[in-house]
Parts: sequence; C-alpha cells; structure tokens
Amino acid sequence: MSQNKNINLGYINLFNTHIIPVKFNYHAPQTLEEALNLLNKLKDKARVIAGGTDLIVDMKLRRKEPEHVVSLNKIRELDYITVDSLGVKIGAIVKLRKIEKEKIIRERFPALYEALKSMASIQVRNMGTMVGNICNASPAADTAPPLLIYNATLTAKSLNNERKIPIEEFFKAPGKTALKEDELVTEIFIPYPPQDSHSTFLKITRVGMDLSKVSIAVLTKFNGSIIEDIRIALGAVAPTPLRIRRAEEFLKNKPLTEENLKIVQEIVAKEIKPITDVRSTEWYRREVAKVLVKDALMKCLEEEGGR
Amino acid sequence: MSSITYLESQKDEYRILDQWLKAREYVYVGKDVKRIDALDKVTGRARYVEDFLVEGLTYARIVKSDIPHGVIEWIRPGRAVEHPDFIALVTCEDIPGLNQVGYYIPDQPALAEKKVRFHGEPVALIVSSKPDSLEELRNLVEVEIKPLKAVYDPLEALKDKVLVHEEHGSNIVLRTKVKKGDVSKALENTDYVVENVYKTGYQEHAYLEPEGALAIPMDGGMTIILPAQYPHLAQSIIARVLGYPQSKIRIIQPVIGGGFGGKDDMGPIIGAQAAIAAYKVRRPVLLVYTREDSFTSHCKRDPAYIRYKSGANRDGKLTFVDVEIIFDAGAYANRGPFTLWRATAHATGPYEVPNVDVRGILVYTNKVYQGSFRGFGNPQVQFAAERQMDELADKIGIDPLEFRLKNILRIGSRISTDQVLEDSVGVGEALVRVAEKCGWFEKRKKYGKIVDGKARGIGLACAWHGISTSRGVPDWCNAYINVSKDGSVSIYTGIVEIGQGTHTGLIQIAAEALGIPVEKINLIGGTTDAPDTGATHGSRGLSFGGVAILLAASKIREKVQKVASRIFECKPEDVEIRDGWVFEKIKPEKRISWEEAVKRCYAEGEELSATGYFFMPKGKFDEEKGQGFAYIVFSYMVSAVEVEVDLETGLTRILKVWPAICAGKIVNPKLAVTQIHGATVQGIGYTLMEEVVIEDGKIVNTNYTDYLIPTISDIPEIDEPIFVEDYFKFGPMGAKGLAEMALIPIPAAITNAIKHAVGVKPSEIPYTPEKLYRDLLRRMRE
Ligand SMILES: Cc1cc2nc3c(=O)[nH]c(=O)nc-3n(C[C@H](O)[C@H](O)[C@H](O)COP(=O)(O)OP(=O)(O)OC[C@H]3O[C@@H](n4cnc5c(N)ncnc54)[C@H](O)[C@@H]3O)c2cc1C
Repeated sequence: MSQNKNINLGYINLFNTHIIPVKFNYHAPQTLEEALNLLNKLKDKARVIAGGTDLIVDMKLRRKEPEHVVSLNKIRELDYITVDSLGVKIGAIVKLRKIEKEKIIRERFPALYEALKSMASIQVRNMGTMVGNICNASPAADTAPPLLIYNATLTAKSLNNERKIPIEEFFKAPGKTALKEDELVTEIFIPYPPQDSHSTFLKITRVGMDLSKVSIAVLTKFNGSIIEDIRIALGAVAPTPLRIRRAEEFLKNKPLTEENLKIVQEIVAKEIKPITDVRSTEWYRREVAKVLVKDALMKCLEEEGGR
Repeated sequence: MSSITYLESQKDEYRILDQWLKAREYVYVGKDVKRIDALDKVTGRARYVEDFLVEGLTYARIVKSDIPHGVIEWIRPGRAVEHPDFIALVTCEDIPGLNQVGYYIPDQPALAEKKVRFHGEPVALIVSSKPDSLEELRNLVEVEIKPLKAVYDPLEALKDKVLVHEEHGSNIVLRTKVKKGDVSKALENTDYVVENVYKTGYQEHAYLEPEGALAIPMDGGMTIILPAQYPHLAQSIIARVLGYPQSKIRIIQPVIGGGFGGKDDMGPIIGAQAAIAAYKVRRPVLLVYTREDSFTSHCKRDPAYIRYKSGANRDGKLTFVDVEIIFDAGAYANRGPFTLWRATAHATGPYEVPNVDVRGILVYTNKVYQGSFRGFGNPQVQFAAERQMDELADKIGIDPLEFRLKNILRIGSRISTDQVLEDSVGVGEALVRVAEKCGWFEKRKKYGKIVDGKARGIGLACAWHGISTSRGVPDWCNAYINVSKDGSVSIYTGIVEIGQGTHTGLIQIAAEALGIPVEKINLIGGTTDAPDTGATHGSRGLSFGGVAILLAASKIREKVQKVASRIFECKPEDVEIRDGWVFEKIKPEKRISWEEAVKRCYAEGEELSATGYFFMPKGKFDEEKGQGFAYIVFSYMVSAVEVEVDLETGLTRILKVWPAICAGKIVNPKLAVTQIHGATVQGIGYTLMEEVVIEDGKIVNTNYTDYLIPTISDIPEIDEPIFVEDYFKFGPMGAKGLAEMALIPIPAAITNAIKHAVGVKPSEIPYTPEKLYRDLLRRMRE
C-alpha cells in the first residue's frame, strides 16, 4: 500500500476498536448465587448477557443502554445438557451449536434440530444460546416454534424464588417476557414428544442467513389415517411466537384430507397477525404462512407413510 | 461519421503499445501472481484509515438533517459545550474557501448552507477529544430547520411544483440525447413491436469499511489520509474548499475496505469535511461515518424509470429502439450527468440497430443523491434492453439466443451513436460459447415445467460497456518510475487499491516491461505524490493505469538496452532483458545481471527514471444531433443463469451462472475471476434482494439486518469464466476494462430465466419473492 515515509504515523489507534458507544459496568460472577445477588441489587439497571449476539447488537445501536451487564458465561453450573426418562434439560449458557450437535436432539426433537441448523451462521451459533434466543423474545426467534410444540418449560430463578414457566406463557410482546427484573432463566426443560409422533420445522428467509419472514413447527401423531395429536406453532407472524390452538382443535381426530388441509390453512391465516415491515408485507406473510402449514403437515404425513 | 484524433506528439507511445501488443508471449502478464497485499490483510497488519494514530488526534462525526427539505434557522452547539470532550462545532461558516463539492454542476455544499435537501444531509461536524463521546455530543447539538414541502417521486418532481434547487428554476438537471435514423418511419414498417416500463431501485455500495478521512494540518498545508478513488480529484476539491493552492494538499491512500465507485464520489466530500474541521481546530481530525451515517448520507446507485419501445421484423432483425430514461438524481447532480449519458448511449444493448431515439432526463428529488457504482448508469438500461430482447424474441417466436446473434455488434458495426467499431468486439463469440457451455437449447426445451410446485428456467443477457470517459471528455494516464542504484524499482501511480488487486496487476506489467521479477518492484499508489493518473473507476485502473506504467517502464528498458548494447557490441533492439538478466538475444549465455546493468547506467550518465504520460485518442460527439464518437472501445459480457422458482412462495434460487467476458488480454486470471465472482454476486443482490426503503424521505433500513445483501449461502456455483481475449490496441498488452462487467448483465439474465421458468414478465428490480408471487397470482388469474 502507499505509505507515507515522511510522517511518522505512530501506533495503531486502538480507540477505534470500541464498537459500543456507551460506558457500562461489566460483571462476571462465578456462581449463580452471585449473579442472582447482583440482579437483586441492580434490578432494571442490569442486563444479563449470555452469547451477546442479540444484546451487543442492541447496545451498539443504542436500543438498549444498560448501566450494568451481568455475564453468565463464567457460571459453570449453567453449562449442561442432561437427559433422563422425561426429557432433556439444557442450561442457560449452552451454545446453540452444542445443542444442535447433541444426538438426542437430532433423534427425538427433529423440529428443534432443524430450527437450530437453520439459524444464522456457525460462528453465531458458536456464541449464541437457546435461552438467549428465547429471552430476547423476538417474534422471529427460530427456536420458539419448536419449543412451543414440544411444550417446553423454563426455570426462572431470583434470589429468593424459583418458578417454572410454560413457554406458551413466557412471551408477552416483542422483547417482553414474563420474567421479573431480578429473575433469570437457568434452564429449559423439553419433555419427549409422544411415541410415534412426527415433528418438523420450516422457515422462509430473505437471504441465506437471516431472521425468518415466517417460520413454523408442527407435530403430528396419527392413528391410522386419523390425527390423534397435533400441535402447530408459528413465528414472525404476530407480536409473539404462538400456538394456533384453533387449527389444532379443528384437525384433531380428523383425517388429513385435502379439504381439511384447506380449512386449516384458512384458520391459520385468520389467527395470525402479521405486519408489513422492511422485512416483508402482511399480505405475503399470510400467503406464505398458508404454504408452510401445508408443507409442514405434508412432510409429517410423508414420514408417517414412509415409516 | 466519427473520426478519432491521434496526437503527433504521442507517436512514440503508440509504437511502444503496438510492440507489446504484438509480442503475445509474456513472462508475468497472464499469470496468477499472488496479491501483494494478501499477507498484510489476512494477518491484520493492513492499516485502514481508522488505524492511524497521530499526535493530538481529535475525532469528528457529521451532524445530519432530520428533515428532507427545509430552511436552516440555526445550528448551535447547545449543551455540547459543557461536555469535557467537546472541542468544536463546525458549520459552513467555518469554511475558508468555497463551500462547494459539486462534481460537474456546482450545486452541492460540503456542509449544508441555508437549506437542506435530503434527510441525512450533513449540516455540521462535531469534534471531540474522544471517539466514545461523539454520539452523545452530536445528540446535544441544536439544529433548527423549518420544513418545506418535499418531493420524492421523480415523475412528480418533473412537474416542478416543489423545487429542490430554486436557483436552478426547474428540477430537471439536464437532458441527454442519442439519435440515429428515423424511428417513426421504422415503426410503420415493423412487424413486431414491444413496449414496457422498467424500474430499478437504489443500490447501496455496502462496502465493509464505511467512509472515513484523517486530515492532518502540516507543512503549511493539509495532508489527508483518504480512502478515495481519485487522489487528484480529492486534492482539487479540498483545495477549493480550503482556499489553498492544489499543491498544498497531499492525499495518501490507506488500505481501503472496498470502493465500488462510492469512494470515488465520497472521497473528496468526506476529505473536504475532515479538512474543514482540521482547519478550524488546528489539529488532526479523524472523521468516520458510522454504518448508519453511511446508509443515510452517502450516494447510491441511481434509481431509474425507463420507457422502452422496440421493434423487429419477421427475419429477426431489430428495426428501431425508442427509449425514455428518467434518472432520479436525488438532492444533487453529482455524477448524474455522466451516468445518464452512459445509460443513453448504451440503451440499445450491444446490438446494431438502424433507428435509434433515446432521450434521458435527470431529475432532482429530496432524497439521498445518486453516484458512481460499478456499471455507472449502465446496469439499469441493460436490464431494460435485455428484458426487452427476450420479450421481442417471444413475440417473433424465435429463440432469444438466435435473436441476439442476428443483431449482435461485430467489427464494422455502427453503434447507437453511429460510431463505427474498428476492433476488439468479441461479444458474438462469447454468446456462442456461453450457450454451448450451459446447454442452452436443451434446457430451453426441457425447463419451464412445474414439478412439485417448482420450475426451472435458463436465461441469458449481454452487456457492453464503454471504457474510459465518453465523447470528447479528455482522459489521460501517467506514472513515474525510478530505478534505484541497487536495481530495485519504485513505481508511483495515482491508481488506487480498493481491494480489487490492481496494484498487483500493475506490478506484473512493470515486471514484464522491465524484465525483472515482481519482488524487485515497490508500488506507491493512490497518492498525489504520483502524477495525475485519472480516477480508479470505469474499469480503467489496470488498463489505463497499466498503459502509463508500460510506457514508463519501456522507456527505462530502452535505456538499459542502449547501455547494454555497448557491452555486448550489438544493436539495442537485440538486447533482451528477462527474469533479472540482460543479454544479447542470440547469445544468452553471455549475460550480466540487471543490477550490474543498472550500475553501468548510473556510471555512464543514463538517467533511470521516466514518466509514462498517455492521452487517450478521442473523437467528437455532436450533442445537438445526438451522434458521433461515444467511446474508444467497449468491453463485453455475457452471462447465462439457471434458476429454480418455488411457485408457492415466490422464492428464486439461482443454481448456476456461466460468465463470459471480452476484456482483451487478461493480465492476471485469478484477479479476473475474483472480480467476476464479486460483480456477479453484487448483481444478484441488486436483482433479487437489495432495497433501500424510504418513508417520508427517510431511509429506514440503515443496517444489514434490514438492508439485505447476499450471504455466502445465497451464492450459486459460478462456472469457470470464458475469456474472449479481444485485444485492444491502446491497452497494456491489449487489456481492456473488466471489473464492472459481470454485474451488468445479471439483472436481465436472472429475470429472463425466471420468465422462462414460470412465464411472468419481470419489469422491476429488486424482484423480491413478494413481487414474483404477486405476478404469479396475476398470471393465474389472466
Ligand atoms: C448475524 C446474526 C444472525 C442471526 N440469525 C438468527 C436466526 O437465524 N434466527 C434467530 O432466531 N436468531 C438469530 N440471531 C439472533 C441471536 O443470535 C439469537 O437470538 C441467539 O440465540 C441469542 O443468544 P445469546 O446467547 O447471544 O443472547 P444474548 O444476546 O446474550 O441475550 C439476548 C437477550 O436475552 C437476555 N438473556 C440472555 N440470557 C438470559 C437468561 N439466562 N435469563 C434472562 N435473560 C437472558 C439478555 O439480557 C438479552 O436481552 C442472529 C444474530 C446475528 C448477530
């Protein structure tokens, strides 16, 4: 490159590596108790950080300006995946990539596996966590629809309390959850889906690695040609990810005929509340949601037939 | 019709270029020489503008208008003055020279004065002692602007109800015209006519590194470390703004994180802004646009509205082309007069059309201004022209490839402006070879059928692109080469390395001409310390920059030959220099080293420095008639694209691209391939995804979460490019421009393939899944 030999341009300017324009205090507690103590003291002045792949972006853009950032990353007791006879428990700081590589996830929770695989890039998945994805409460969070159909439960802890929150009650609005300001999520528990059920996840994005325009997770259990159990959840089509209970109720104990499929598509289109934003239009989201419902159900049906 | 003027004073230069063109066998040229900047970049040692730390450095950020059109009432630092880091607020009143950074038309201030004309226009600069407080400080500045009615739609702006520049009296910046034959008569005798309106949107350069400048007051002048694409242009504009003589302004390029044309326009502007601040605070100032600032406040590819009517006869011959092009200039004229002229001249596509009538209008609106961007006005019209070719072929009922071949430009053809092409026209061959490689006829038959809700299609498009400045606009290049006593060589060129690899290619050319290994050569580029070489744009960096280096190096070679001929007792032209050895051609074993020869030159009074000035031969264009000389030469491109369309979601997946390029001699094939890949991908983004969303004059998607460019998983397989080496007599070893080419045919190639797959007729880009889906529904209803 062209260098100027006459001016001594000195050392590399390290100031400019700052990407966050505001000052904040950084805490890295070693134990859960320490972390909960901090939250108890700092309340809404603090933000929890796990992988930071959502939070850092928000801070850089000044959408969030916490005075304190409490990192969970040094808390080893939150880094686990345990498997027992009821299901799988995943600690708060387990990386997305690690969950994706877990055999039990691929085999028993295919919709979650597909969702994880579809997220961002490997680099981002090596940093981000599933608890972070859920706590960020984006309507487009990709792990939300699968966790919804698997009836996952979150464990929320504060210094003096512990409670279980079913995932369906967790999302309140974009970026808003059922958590109190001194609480954090320590674990996600995912019970096994019914024996012989099928589940799948699909999404439509704008570019290869991207947030969803529309996403869907579906679980079915057939008894012969009759649908015995059915769960449908969609993302990015309403202020929160949501189960479409009316569609489920309609399909239960019915065969998956072409006509029934059409009716379900219409119910879904009615139940969702998509918006027009820079990512897509309301109209297109509604149209594509219908297509995804059909594709996902057909995929389950195919698996049932091919078994 | 158009005769080219050759200069008597440049006869020697023509001779040297001809010699190298005829050599055809080269040692370094045509080889995959490794990039000289590769190691520094991958090890993080490369220094970008932000990486320089100078003593007493201060930091600046632009303060922007949050109103698209209005009268400035006041600008005050407000509570910013109370902040410990505050150094200064800089406004137009602090400008010592002219507040004018307009490129061709003097309509653009460095910092807004009296009025603002777009949302995001810089009105002031805030200077701080620390970078971290810049955002806080800029929010404290008080800017009061009284809003005026604004106009955003160029068609609406044509009515002149709201004037963006009152003093100009109209929103029409200027009109362009190219005319040949008689279109209305041709229309009467034409069998098939197609008429359509085509629309294209803004495109953001999306370079990894946003704009920046480091201005250092020193030595009684100003030194600016500046990511720009034409150091001497930045020098002259900054000199004007500071009221300094040009020679007191020194521009140095740092490592640059991408340009694509954007930094050609922005370099001088941000350089001037930083220099004004440095002048005021009398300390070095680093001004960097944040990503958001870059989105809101830097120029973009011109949105276009194109009415296109063309016709052909039963025999498949084009009879006429009748086009109206409206370019949305945004708030300032900037490069609009030139992008529009380029669009006007290229509107026919690379075809011989007997009757042509193209009219261009450049219109002001209250939006961010347009500017240079890979293809420079041409991608817009090639999209229209090449979509139109497929529609016409359809109507006549012949294959689109055959239709193109019947009309394609060849040596001796008369182009839209009636200029005759004298040499270097490889596009016909490129078409045939691409078609063969992609399995054209078979796939045209096989595809276009729906299987499982999906359909495949194949499409292709051509592009032509005039190299160098248009018409009689002067164009020259230069370089300075000096050989040190130890035989090592320094090259000074104004050509800028913006990531394209040109400096490596330039060194290859010098190595070839001097006959020494590339390692012996050091290149100092992108600086006003070098002679004015013209801009690094218009695909001219390696071709024109290379001409100057080839000429300077050849002059030195001739001097070394002369001195060596006295040693070998032979004629100078019988002396060969190769790989660092000097010898008589017929007695290679009796040789001396290059270093030895250089020592002799120093000892025997032979000067070993030279410049390589070259003035490009030009012709005349008659603006009244719309006829005459357009460009000295054209590069050509053909791309075929295979797609798969999902009919239920409107998603298009690009399966493969087959590129062919006619850019004369390929100096470094690996560099050429990377340019073709990059341009193809940038074209894919332009065609399918990239959309600047503007609401009430405000750009709302100012980040990469919402402004989408292709990711690695959107990139299709790109076939090994076909190089049709159609040598150009005024290029180094016959090289023409290359870097812009592969983007230009992509919009039409993709949309033609989509049409083949599912039958829709795309007329607007970005052609998003939403639009494709809408068109599919419409088609089903019909
Ligand atoms: C380039 C890129 C691509 C992306 N692509 C996708 C995609 O395709 N799909 C997708 O869904 N997301 C995507 N994301 C978003 C993001 O990566 C995911 O949401 C990720 O799972 C977040 O996890 P994290 O650990 O990084 O969260 P953080 O950023 O650390 O935290 C996110 C939020 O959750 C809160 N939080 C974190 N942990 C806890 C806890 N234990 N208790 C309470 N609150 C907590 C934080 O305070 C913060 O508000 C992408 C992000 C990037 C940068």
